[in-house]
Amino acid sequence: MFGKRFAWLLTLVLVLATILSACKPAEKLATVINLNLGTEPPTLDPQLATDTTSVQCDELLFLGLTDFDEKTMEVIPELATEWSVSDDGLTWTFKLRKDVYWVHWDPATAKAEKKRLVNAYDVEYAVKRCLDPATASDYAYVLYIIKNGLQVNTGEITDLNEVGVKAVDEWTVQFTLEKPAGYFPGIAGMWVCRPTPKEVHDQFGDKWTEPGNIWTNGPYCLDTWEHENKMVMKKNPFYYGAKDVTIETINWAMVVEESTAFAMYEAGELDVCGVPSADLDRVRADATLSKELYIAPILCTYYYGFNTTKPPFDNPKVRQAFSLAIDRQRLIDTVLKGGQKPAKTFACPGIFGSPAEDPNFPDIIFDPAKAKALLAEAGYPDGKGLPDITLMFNTSEGHKRIAEFIQSSWKENLGVEVKLANQEWAVYLKTVHGPDTPQIYRLGWCADYPDENNWVLEVFHPTLGSNDPKWSGPAAEEFARLTEEAAATSDPAKRKELYFKAEKILCVDEAVIAPIYYYTRVVCTKPYVERGYAPLGGEHIDRWKVKAH
Amino acid sequence: MARYIARRLLWMIPVLFFISVITFGLAHALPGGPFDREKPLPAEVIANLEKYYGLDKPVYQQYIDYVGRIVTRFDFGPSYRARGRTVNDIFRDHLPISAQLGLLALALSVGIGVPLGIVAALKQNTFWDYLGMAVAIFGVSVPNIVMGPLLIWIFALKLGWFPVAGWGTPSQMVMPAMALGLSNSALIARLTRASMLQVIREDYIRTARAKGLTERAVMIRHALKNAFIPVATILGPLFAVLVTGTFVVEQIFAIPGMGKYFITSITNRDYPVVVGAILLYAVFLVLANLAVDITYAFLDPRIRYT
Repeated sequence: MFGKRFAWLLTLVLVLATILSACKPAEKLATVINLNLGTEPPTLDPQLATDTTSVQCDELLFLGLTDFDEKTMEVIPELATEWSVSDDGLTWTFKLRKDVYWVHWDPATAKAEKKRLVNAYDVEYAVKRCLDPATASDYAYVLYIIKNGLQVNTGEITDLNEVGVKAVDEWTVQFTLEKPAGYFPGIAGMWVCRPTPKEVHDQFGDKWTEPGNIWTNGPYCLDTWEHENKMVMKKNPFYYGAKDVTIETINWAMVVEESTAFAMYEAGELDVCGVPSADLDRVRADATLSKELYIAPILCTYYYGFNTTKPPFDNPKVRQAFSLAIDRQRLIDTVLKGGQKPAKTFACPGIFGSPAEDPNFPDIIFDPAKAKALLAEAGYPDGKGLPDITLMFNTSEGHKRIAEFIQSSWKENLGVEVKLANQEWAVYLKTVHGPDTPQIYRLGWCADYPDENNWVLEVFHPTLGSNDPKWSGPAAEEFARLTEEAAATSDPAKRKELYFKAEKILCVDEAVIAPIYYYTRVVCTKPYVERGYAPLGGEHIDRWKVKAH
Repeated sequence: MARYIARRLLWMIPVLFFISVITFGLAHALPGGPFDREKPLPAEVIANLEKYYGLDKPVYQQYIDYVGRIVTRFDFGPSYRARGRTVNDIFRDHLPISAQLGLLALALSVGIGVPLGIVAALKQNTFWDYLGMAVAIFGVSVPNIVMGPLLIWIFALKLGWFPVAGWGTPSQMVMPAMALGLSNSALIARLTRASMLQVIREDYIRTARAKGLTERAVMIRHALKNAFIPVATILGPLFAVLVTGTFVVEQIFAIPGMGKYFITSITNRDYPVVVGAILLYAVFLVLANLAVDITYAFLDPRIRYT
C-alpha cells in the first residue's frame, strides 16, 4: 500500500518538476527608456515634417497607411489592412483597420482618453491638407503624383475636392493618380499622408501639436514637450498592439553636441547613443563599449557631382577619370572610419531597384591607370592643359577632410591640382542649386521612401529633378526616358531592369556624379536594450524591449 | 537723476529703430533663403512658403509689417524653422533659462573675482598675489569650449557628482554656471587687482589713513568703492552677454537657452528670430549700461547726472 502511494507521489513530484523546469521564469522588463532626439523637432505635424527628428516623433505618434519592413524594406500594412490597384495602375484602394482610435493624453492627470475611431475621411483630409497651398507644406510635392495634386498646390485649381483622394466609405480610401506609379504604396505610408484630426487643427491652429492639445493614434501619446530641452512620450493604452508594447515611457533628451550626448551615455543617462567620430577609436579599444557598438546601414549616399556644362567636366571621359581616381575604401579606412561602404551607384542598398549589390553592375573600382588613360584620351595627358578646377563643399570639418583626401588622390593619381573652396551652408545651397553650380560639388541624398524613383528621377531627371549637374543631351534624354518608364511600370522585375540601366548611365557611362560612400550610423546601445535598426529612420521603439537592469 | 534715466530710456527708441533697420536689411541681403534645402524644394512649394510668411512682398513692406506687429501687438513674428513657434514663444521659453544661468554665472564671477583681486592687490608680490593671478590667468586662458568638457569629465564622469547635461534641476545648473563664471571671474579678478593697486596709492587713501581710520575701514569704505568703478563698467556688457545666452556653454551642456538662437537663426536665415534676438540683446545692453552709469553715481559721489 505504502509502496504504491509512494510510487504515485514520486511520479507526481517528477511530473511537476519536469513541468516547472520547462517553464522559464517570465523575463523581467523595465518600462522606461532614455534616448536622445539629437535636436528639437521643428514640428510634430505630419503634414509639415521635413526632417528626420520630426519624422522619428511622428513614427511613434501617428500611424501611416503602410509601413516598411525594417529588414527587407518591403511595404507592409499599418493603418491599412490591404490595398489593391486598378488594371490601368491609376486607382489605388486602401482598406483601413477598424480598431484605431484618436487618443487625447492629458499631461496633468496622466490619463488617456479615447476620442473616436480613425477613419478614411481622416486620411482624405490629411492628404488634401498637405496639398492645400495655405498649409505651405514642404513635402507637398511628393503628392504631385496624385491627380490634380500639383494644380491644387499651385493654386491653379482652388477646389480641394478636385484632389484625387476620396473616402469611399468610413473604412475605404481611394487615390487616383496622374499616371501609374508602382511605388505609390510607399508614398501612401509617408508621414505627409498620415491622418491628423481636423477638429483639433480647427480648435488650436498651429498649436495643435502641443501637449494637452494633440490627439494621436500611434503606439505613444505626447506627455511633455519642453522646447529645446526634453520630450516625454507615454504608451497609448488604446493602441491596437498595446499588449506588445513593453516600454511605457520614452524620455527624449535633445542634446545637439555629440560628445555631450556620448558622455551622458557613458554616465548611464542615455541607453542608446550615436558615437562621435572622434571617439570611435577609443570605443573600439574599450572592452565594454566595443561590445555595445553597432554599425548599421542607413539609406543615404554621399556623392560628388560634376557640372556637365563647365570645362573640363563637359567631357564624360574627364568625369570618369576623376571618379575612378578616388580610392573610396582608403577614404573610409583612414578618414571616415565609420564602417561606410564604397558607393558605386547613386541609390544605396536597401532601395528598391538599386543595383548597388548587383554583381553585374560595373564597379567603380579605384583604377588610377585607367583614370590616367581616360584623362589622356580626353586630351589632358597627365592633367596637362586642364583649366583651373575647384571643388566646393559646405563649411564643415568632416567635408573638408574628405575633400582634402580626394584632392590629394587626384594630385597623386592624375597629376591634377584641384582647388578647394567652401561656403556657409545657406550660401552653398544657393550656389549649388543655382545657375552657376561649381565644377565639382558635394552633396548627400537620403531616402524619403525606399524606391529608386525617389533617387534617380527626383534628383537627376533633366526636367523633373533638380538636376544640379545641368545635364542634357542624348544620354540625359535616355536617362529621363528610362526613369519615367520605370516610374510608370508596375512590374518589379521590369522596374529593376530600367533602374539598372539608368544608374549605369548616371554613374558609369556618363559619370555625371561620383558616388563616394553609402552612409552608416555608428551607435552604442546598452546591453539591456533589445532593439531593431530602421534604415529609413523612424525607429519603432514600441517594438523594443528594455530588460530589467 | 530721474530725468536723466527717462532721457536715456527715450533714446532707446531711435537706437532700436536703427538697429532693426540695419539688421533686417543685412539679414535679407545675405545670400540663401530660409527655405533652401539640401533637397531643393520645387519653385511652387517655395512660393507657397513665401506667401505663408509674407516673404513674397517687397522687403520694405516686410519691414513695415514687422515693425507694425511689434508696435501694435508686441508680436515679433513667426520662426521659419519651427512651424507654429513664434519669436515671442522663443523669448518666453528660453530667455528666463539664459537669464537664470547668466545671473548665476555673474554672481559666481563677482563672488570669486572681486575677493581674489582684492587679496592679490593687498598682498601684492606675495604668494597669495601670485597664486591669485595664476588662477586668473588660467581662467582667462581656458575657453569655455575646453572648460565645459573638462568639467563634464571631472565632475560628471569621474566623480559622478553632477549630471552631464540638461536643464531643470539645481544640480544641472552647477557645471554650466562654473564654465561661464570661472573665466569671467578671472577677468574680474585681474581688473579688481589692477584697480585696487591704483586706488590704494591715491592721496585720499593716505589722508584717510592719516586721520587714524583702521585699515579695514579705509579699504572697505574708501578704496573698494572707487576700485569697483572699472569692474562695474565691464559688468554691464557682461550682464547683457550672460543673460541673453551663450552659445558654446548652452551647446555643451544642452541648455535650452537663447544662446543658440543668436547663432543658428543666422545660418537658418530665420529673419524674425535674427532681428528679434539682436533687438533683445540691444535692449539688455542699453539697460545694463544705464545701470552701470547709475552705479557710478553711487560709487563715486563726484559723479552727478542731470
